[in-house]
Formats: sequence, structure tokens, C-alpha cells
Amino acid sequence: MNEQGDGRVLLEVDRVRKSYRRRGGGEVSAVCDVSFELKAGRILAFLGPNGAGKTTTIKMIAGLVRMDGGDVRIGGHSIRTAGPAALRQLGAVLEGSRNLYWRLTPIENIEYWAGIRGVPRRRARERGLALLTQCGLEDKAHQTVQQLSRGMQQLVAICASLVHEPRLLLLDEPTLGLDLDAADRIQQIVERLARIENVGILLTTHQMEVAQRLSDEVVLIREGSVILKGATDAVRERLNGDSYAFELGAGLREDQRAYLIGRDATFDSPTTFRLVVRSPEDFYDIVRRLEPCPIIRASRDTADLGTVFRHYVHGEGLEEASS
Amino acid sequence: MIWTAFTAELRREITQLVRYPTEFLSEAIFIAVVFYGLFLGGSYMAGRGILGSRLSDIIIGYALWTLMLGAIGNMGWGIANEAQNGTLEQVCLAPVRIRTIFALRSLANLVYDLALTGIALILIMLVTHHDIHFSLLELVPVIQAIGVSIGIGYLVASVTILFKRSNQFLNLLQFAVLFLVMTPFTDLPGALKYIAVVVPIGPQMGVLRRLALGQAHFPGEEAWLLLGIVNMLLWIGIGYFVYGAAHDRARGRGALGHY
Repeated sequence: MNEQGDGRVLLEVDRVRKSYRRRGGGEVSAVCDVSFELKAGRILAFLGPNGAGKTTTIKMIAGLVRMDGGDVRIGGHSIRTAGPAALRQLGAVLEGSRNLYWRLTPIENIEYWAGIRGVPRRRARERGLALLTQCGLEDKAHQTVQQLSRGMQQLVAICASLVHEPRLLLLDEPTLGLDLDAADRIQQIVERLARIENVGILLTTHQMEVAQRLSDEVVLIREGSVILKGATDAVRERLNGDSYAFELGAGLREDQRAYLIGRDATFDSPTTFRLVVRSPEDFYDIVRRLEPCPIIRASRDTADLGTVFRHYVHGEGLEEASS
Repeated sequence: MIWTAFTAELRREITQLVRYPTEFLSEAIFIAVVFYGLFLGGSYMAGRGILGSRLSDIIIGYALWTLMLGAIGNMGWGIANEAQNGTLEQVCLAPVRIRTIFALRSLANLVYDLALTGIALILIMLVTHHDIHFSLLELVPVIQAIGVSIGIGYLVASVTILFKRSNQFLNLLQFAVLFLVMTPFTDLPGALKYIAVVVPIGPQMGVLRRLALGQAHFPGEEAWLLLGIVNMLLWIGIGYFVYGAAHDRARGRGALGHY
């Protein structure tokens, strides 16, 4: 994990709140008193199930959704009272958006997005070409974006969001729907941005392996409230001693597999899985349920982020998280 | 920063114009064909050809109407398209005020629309075998009218940012603009004529009409030209203010970027 960064707090999310009006009347709380910080050169994975309030929070950080209460400061500038100064330090690639003009080429897009951020054309072009080269897209710089693959489009969107040299980058589901190569390329770029260029990165993803590989810190949100936050390693170690890895000598029956899935087990293969064991009695109960399947190995294990996510999001770990 | 943003908008507009010339040309041909249809229809109904300087005025009026509809609709169309395509939120992330960006876009679009209308005018001249004559003085109210259109464009944009749809509204507005172009508010009797100061393009159309009919008298007309500036600033101000409120409301609803 990263120990770099200059220790400066880049993003302060301070008790932000947002409610939406229901059509039939009344209000529904989307985000409730969410607070966290992100330092330069660090990657924070902002995790939660669908509808937890991740995108609303990200959009409040970017000033796209007006918060009902609390504040967001980027580089010390409040998005509420000093929006332009805060936005100068921010780049974002938002999920569900193209983020680019498809009829323009990557370099034209980069020049345009730089232009409306006040970056002169020549500097935008130089930086744009350098960014595209870093992403291996230098030979695609002059093709229209609609001719590029989805992975390439996502890389171009990231380049465009970086052209004004922001100190904070928001990435909402950056690897969603991409093939393995494209997802790997994006992960490498994200790591380089944080480790070498000292950019603070706030990342949302449903892909726990991506979050685990990249993140230094984790904030877990459920129903609009933060239920867990801390360094990724520390969060995983919370379940140490409780997490077990099983290796079986044969495949499971359907009912056995359904039971384990119901217990939020993470399957690495049809015959290997991890899960949280609540007590010694629980351990023997699991072993009994696996009969007659041969158990080759059952050992204590460091929980992966997926196991942590399921454990806390599905409610079992709520008391521990708040303690 | 504003100049850099404007050149970026202009470059985007020109790049697309050059890359997709058939779209541009087909739009120009469409404008010319619609006019020719109106021209033939008018000639048929009037029982004789529309001749002489009146034709120049009609053509200029038609070109102005086209330019105004462009200026009114561009912001709304732009917002609806960008919300659908997923670029609107990125535009909102720029440190320049979104209202300023939309104004810059309107000016960049105007360059496109002027080129479009210019080509359409040339086609109309070729088809009707008629040269168009107009005085430079006519450009003053024309520019003011386009300014007013940008103000109304902000109002359309306000509807669009809240509801992400403005097609019906724009269709209705076409007739409203036609009504404004055709109604001689400045010729109303007595003090009633000063209603024109607050009616969109009221003073401008009055000046244009008198110039066309050769009834403009100097000194005297300057007052209406100045009131035209007041009218333009009033509608740009109303549009700018209303859009700001609508944008903030959309932010409050969390409905800025998407359908």
C-alpha cells in the first residue's frame, strides 16, 4: 500500500447531507452526515451497494448536486462558497456519462475541455498528447472518439479530466464494463497518478478486487451513512481471525453452494472459498454442512475486501464497525 | 479564461462544420427551399409576383427569423442533447459559470448560423434571380434582435435544464416569434407604443419596418435604436437571472446531468 503523499489534506467532506422530495410528498434521505478526508497521493475507495448514496456524494463533491447541509472543501476551497477555485483543482470521470464529444477526436476533446477550464490551446495540446502517449493512445489521437473501443474512450475521458492538472480526481466506476486489458491499463494509470504525480483519487467501484488492489483507504457507505472507514489494510485486518479460506477436494452440491452464498462466502474457484466464521461452533457447523465433500485445507486468512464489504453491508458487522 | 473558453467553443463548432459539411449544406438548402415555398405560395395567393425592394425586406426578415430561432433554440437543444449524450455534467465542472459558457456557446453558434444563413441567402438569390440590398443601419436592430433572442434562449434553457425537454416549448415559440416579428408595437397610438420597449424585439422590429418602408427619419429614430439596446439588455438580464435560478433548482433536485 502507498505510504507516499505529502500529507496535505486535499479533500474534506464534512457532514454532507442530501434529501430528495418524494413524488407523493415527504422526503427521502439519500446522504446523511457523511464525512471523510483524502490526502494528496492517496487513493480512497468509496464503496457501497447500489443506491447507498455514492454517486450523490460524488456529485455533491463536484458541485453538481446542491447539498442540504455540511460542506466540501477541495484544497481548502469550499465548493459552496468558492466553487470556481475548488473546481480548478478537480477532475472527474462520471459513471453513466460519455464525458466526451463523440464527433471530435481525442486531442480535439482534450483541447476543448482544457479550453473551458482556461488552459491555453498550445499547453493543452502538449499535455494532451503526453497524456495520450502515457495511455498508449498516441496513434488514436486523430480518430473520432466514436471509432474507439469503450476502454479507449474511458482512457481518453481520464486524459481529458487531467488536462488542467487537477490535484483531485473523482473516478466513478472507471472500470465498469471494460475488458480485462482495458481495466488493467486504467488501474496502472490510476496508480501512477497517485504514486508519482501525487494526485488524490476518490474511486467508486463495485469491483472489490479493483478497490483492494488500488486503495489506501476505504469508506463504506450504506443507506446514505458511513458504516466503516479506515486504511484498507486495517479494515481487512478487522476480520482477521474470523475469516477462513477453505479448499475442497470436489465440487459442492447446489444446496451446499446456496448455503455458502447465503453466508456471503467469496468463491475464488468452484472448490475454494472464503467466509467469515462467527465462532468455533459456527466453524464445526460449516464443516458438517460440507459433508461428504473432502476438505483439503481450512485455514485462517486475511479477509479480502469483498468479504469485508459483504460482512458489513449485510449488517453482521454493524456493531463492530460502530464500536 | 473567458477568451480561452470562447475560442474552444468556436473551434469545436468549426471543427464539426468542416468534418460534417453535408449536414451544414442540407440545413442551408432546407432553409432556402422553405423560403422558396413561402415565396411561391405568397406569389400565388397575392395573384402576382412579389417584386422590387419588398422582396429584399421579406428575405431579410426571413433570414432574421431563422437567425433568431437559431439563437433561441440552440441553448435548449444543446442542453437536451448534452444531457442525453452525457457531456452536460462535464461542462458544469468548468470553473467558468455555466451561464457564461452557454452565452459563449450562443456566440459560437451564431457564427455557424450566420454562415448557414449566408449560404441560404445566396441560394435564395440564385433561385429568385433577385439581388438583396440592405443598409448597414439595418444591422444595428438585427444585432440587437439576436441579443434579445439569446435572452429568450436562456428562458428555453431554463425549461430544458429542469425538464430536459423543450421541443413543444420551442414549437410554440416559433409562432410567438413570428407574432413578435409581424406585430407593429411601435406603431401603437399614443403612449401605448412604449409597450414595445418591454416586448421582446419590439423596438428593433419597429426600426427595421420603418427602414424597409423608407419611413425612418433621422433625427427621431435614434431614440428607438437606444430603446432597442434597453430592450436587449432587459431580456438578456431576465434570461440570465431565470436560468441561474433554474440551474440551482436542478442542482437541488440532483437532476442536472441526466434525463
